[in-house]
Amino acid sequence: MVMRSRLRGAFALAAAVTLALSACGSGGDEAGGDGKTFTVWWYEDAGNPQDKAWADALKDFQAAHPAVKVKFERKVWQQIQDAGAMILNSNDVPDLLEYNKGNATAGAVAAKGLLTDLTAEATKRGWDKTAGAAMTVGTYDTKGLMGPGKVYGIPSYGEYVSFSYNKDMFAKYGVGVPATMDELVAAFEKFKSQGITPLAESAGDYPAQHLLWGLTVAKADRNWLNGYFGLKAPLDTSAASPLTQAAQTLADWTAKGYLDKKSTGLKAEDAWDLFRTGKAPITYNGTWMVGDFKEKIKSFQWGQFLMPGSGINAGSGGNIWVVPTKAGGKDLAYDFINLTMDAKRQDLMANAGGVALAAKPDAVSDPTGKQVNETFAKLASTDGLGLYGDWPVPNFYQVFFSNTQTLVGGSQTPAKFMEQLKTPYDQVQSTVG
Amino acid sequence: MTVFTAAGTRARSGPPLSRAARKGYLRYLAPGALGFVIVVLVPFVMNIAISFTDWSGIGAPSFAGLDNYRRLVGDEMFWSAFANSIWFIVAMAIVPTALGLVLAAGLFDYLEPRFGQRVSSALRAGFYLPQVLPVAVAGIVWGWILTPYGALNTVLQKLGVTDPPNWLGDTAWAMPSVMLVLIWIQLGYGLVIFMAGMARIDPQFHEAAELDGASWLTRFRHITIPQMQPEIFVVLLTTTIAALKVFGPVFVLTKGGPGNATNVPSYYSYSNFFGTLQVGYGAAIATALTVVVIALTAAFIKIQSRAEGA
Repeated sequence: MVMRSRLRGAFALAAAVTLALSACGSGGDEAGGDGKTFTVWWYEDAGNPQDKAWADALKDFQAAHPAVKVKFERKVWQQIQDAGAMILNSNDVPDLLEYNKGNATAGAVAAKGLLTDLTAEATKRGWDKTAGAAMTVGTYDTKGLMGPGKVYGIPSYGEYVSFSYNKDMFAKYGVGVPATMDELVAAFEKFKSQGITPLAESAGDYPAQHLLWGLTVAKADRNWLNGYFGLKAPLDTSAASPLTQAAQTLADWTAKGYLDKKSTGLKAEDAWDLFRTGKAPITYNGTWMVGDFKEKIKSFQWGQFLMPGSGINAGSGGNIWVVPTKAGGKDLAYDFINLTMDAKRQDLMANAGGVALAAKPDAVSDPTGKQVNETFAKLASTDGLGLYGDWPVPNFYQVFFSNTQTLVGGSQTPAKFMEQLKTPYDQVQSTVG
Repeated sequence: MTVFTAAGTRARSGPPLSRAARKGYLRYLAPGALGFVIVVLVPFVMNIAISFTDWSGIGAPSFAGLDNYRRLVGDEMFWSAFANSIWFIVAMAIVPTALGLVLAAGLFDYLEPRFGQRVSSALRAGFYLPQVLPVAVAGIVWGWILTPYGALNTVLQKLGVTDPPNWLGDTAWAMPSVMLVLIWIQLGYGLVIFMAGMARIDPQFHEAAELDGASWLTRFRHITIPQMQPEIFVVLLTTTIAALKVFGPVFVLTKGGPGNATNVPSYYSYSNFFGTLQVGYGAAIATALTVVVIALTAAFIKIQSRAEGA
């Protein structure tokens, strides 16, 4: 569900090749053939914390393997979401790539035998220890369901979704940081009464479904989540289901004007812009936006708070490194993964404002980096990572997206919303669960 | 279009070629035929074969008989996508053809004689420009213009509209908005062909009618339109096929949304192929779409040859 491809994505795609970080230290080295070239793909935006850390790793990788020609290509998230399986099934695979976590994506291709089993390598090199609880996102069973099984992907960063708020606006209108759902609603009301739409949202893109999922897990317990992701039973559409309650809340919030009904026509970038320019005091964003906010917001102070409720929040280990079964230079791939998991890169990522998996607290001097890393560590240690709602079923992302859009637009009731989700969920559940 | 030329040649009588001479020409067809086999025929046959299977795109497909087609008949989403196609035909074929004809006549009969060919050429190029722009680029720019706080709504608000529509995000407005963009894209295509066609009409017809006191509108109705029939047929046929196959603008502007408000068969087929990995079902949709396009083309050609024969 985590999507980085925004409008800019289209341009990024076009610019990908030209931007390619050709870390060819030894220029005259025209090596070719298996083992002599190392091809790696990732889709982190240029300059974000992951990108910074991995680019640094690539430099060290080149230094350690002077005879190897390194080829890097920047992709976009949507590209892997749409065509990942076809790419892995072709004969033109990279040696290593960042892949979308989830049953419907990494799980599906792992079950088809397109990914290398990394279980032994992960233990040997200690990646399992570095990743800790976040390792879940890379572990799949024979049916491709996330959970106990073999390791097919290695996360090297983490992420969670939380509210970001404009401290200056909160102070100006005398609003405190909400710790309960009632306080959150009271904060919304306060801004609303001043003629300000409090929540910057985008339902024409992925953020609204993150909000919906955030509201869901805030009402859920681990047992419900395990059932939901494990496809243990047909989807519960009763009024008591956390998902139904979340749909109802989202519809209510829209009706009350806490978020603009017109956000159905807004892209993610439009919503972030409403927050960055101080037009809306609150937004609900993933930690992958933190670096961007840190860099671009200069006119006010901002902070973040988690969704009040059960203590479970939308979030997980980050997207994962996978090694295609057909990859030629697997050992090179392992060497590179190892570099992204080491202390230098983990600390670098955290200091750039990213969520590292194992940054040393005293090595993180950046205040934003400190906050997000502490929050993530707390969520991971308290079993508070609620993953993302679209993971259990193929194409649930699209189903979630279009139905959240119509729910926010008001052309669909929460009951109808649940019905729309139930059909594809139950279809897969009856064959897999 | 190839079929048209064939029909045209038949109408023009000449001495029939000998068998040997015909054989001599065959070799010139080889490159085209080869391309057709590789690019069209083989994938098409493969697509039909896949449509009878249950396949995720990876591994071995399993034979499913007519399951996909049975599902297709009962699939509401599929039928609503086809219903939306009718609106796309209006926006990509009917309106641009009608409007293109009027504009072409206006440029050709009115502007060119008064302002010279340079002005009319410049305008013609302007109308054609959207055809040249890659739809991915034009679509993204339109997306910016049409967002709730985009250029269009900012202008509308300055003009006093307090609550301008949410063009692409509202189920009621999304289709008209996409249609508008498509008219903008398609207008130039018909216009250019019609202007070329108008140059073909013998000016004596117009001069004679003008001497008889016929107004511009009368001449347009009784001379231009009947004379332009072959061009109108070609434009209508090609644009209708394009409308049935439309994918790019929908992908860039709305991704079929909000909900399924602007979903079309091509996009639905695509999302089954790549989204749900139900490749067999996606192939069945594509096959059904191809059958409709072929049937429609056959019907068009039949109507045209009947009209020409009359």
